Amino acid sequence: MRAADMAAPVRAESHAGAGAGVPTAAARVAGAVREAVRRASTVSLVLYALALGAGLGLATADYATRGGYPFGGVAVGAWTAWPRTGSVGADPYARAVNARRGEIPLAIGEGMLLTAAQDDEGRMLDATCTYAIAGITPPARAWTVTVAGRGPRDPDRTIVREGYTSTETLRERDGRFVITLSPEVQAGNWLPMPRASGPVRLALRLYDTPVAASAGTLDRTAVPAITRTGCAA
Amino acid sequence: MRRVTPRGRFLLATLAGLVLAGLVHIGVVLLIPRLSETDALSRARTGESLDHAMPVYTLVTGDGPAPPEAWLPIPDPAVAVGICAYDLADGPMRVSARTGPLMLSLAVHGRRGAFYAVTDQAAVRGALDLVVLTRAQYDEALANADENDVSRDVRIVAPDLRGYVVVRVIAALPSQRPAANTAVQAVSCTVDLPAEDKAGG
Repeated sequence: MRAADMAAPVRAESHAGAGAGVPTAAARVAGAVREAVRRASTVSLVLYALALGAGLGLATADYATRGGYPFGGVAVGAWTAWPRTGSVGADPYARAVNARRGEIPLAIGEGMLLTAAQDDEGRMLDATCTYAIAGITPPARAWTVTVAGRGPRDPDRTIVREGYTSTETLRERDGRFVITLSPEVQAGNWLPMPRASGPVRLALRLYDTPVAASAGTLDRTAVPAITRTGCAA
Repeated sequence: MRRVTPRGRFLLATLAGLVLAGLVHIGVVLLIPRLSETDALSRARTGESLDHAMPVYTLVTGDGPAPPEAWLPIPDPAVAVGICAYDLADGPMRVSARTGPLMLSLAVHGRRGAFYAVTDQAAVRGALDLVVLTRAQYDEALANADENDVSRDVRIVAPDLRGYVVVRVIAALPSQRPAANTAVQAVSCTVDLPAEDKAGG
């Protein structure tokens, strides 16, 4: 923001000098910039450098710490595991994100968070589609699958259910489970969509799990597969 | 000094600006946890005078919607969370939890992140006692310890003076949610004064 403020007077001043006779707007701007560069004094150049540094630095820092963790995740199939976001070894960006959001991350001995924003084929999870979350989870004493949309909740929408715990889930005879994430009522483990349209995210939290210390060794058969089975559109 | 063309001066200024931007970026990212007023530690310190865990996320029971104290961004709807802030300048912090049928975990967070976590499986005779202390307080406790008396406390040396302990209780079924909320409230967090320590053995 400050960079724009500083740049504006310089450009306006040079417009007056180099304006006449240039045919197109783009060429006029280019000429004005060249003129400003040639006339710029040392003071204005120093101010320009300071403004560029402050503006760009603040903007990129804000961008990197807004929303989710910028890096540190381990991709496991469609899921991303975040084993270190709560530990002392967390990177500075994860710490900044936690501080800005007021998040209390899971510690390594406590559990591990996995998130998914895409299905197994790499398409974004959409609230109008139906997905099957099927398979097994890594060993854990308890786990929960939660669905959430971005932004605040729609106050008019009644929340039937936001997630499943490992105890609640109905399973097949071999211990595998299928949770159906759908806007329509489904038989079995039905997880309703939290919103009418737009992207949604899934969170799989493993509690008291040994895999938090070795998240890199997980492969995609150890986590539930997310398959799109149909779309309303 | 050699004469620099105006264009060269401008490029030099841009380069200096970009380097400065990198420095500002790194500085701001490192400062955010310290300056933030919405992080868990700052919020936990508002409820410091309590002698039990301050509920952070209470589970929805049949009675009503999510309570106003819920400030976790994407809370787990099956896990009740409570928090105890500590300041070791006042003395060691004792966290006592009784284990019940529900799964419970305690995690100790410092300024840089969680440095210790334990679940109810580590409980001795149904009780889990954590004492968070500084290195000096730990040495003092060791020196004062009676050799014939076996302590069941788990002593943890904290890297910073300030931090918070997080209590998580998992309600596997919706009918267990009121019990999970109660279990979080039942965890006591008290300052372990040396006088009490000697009197209690």
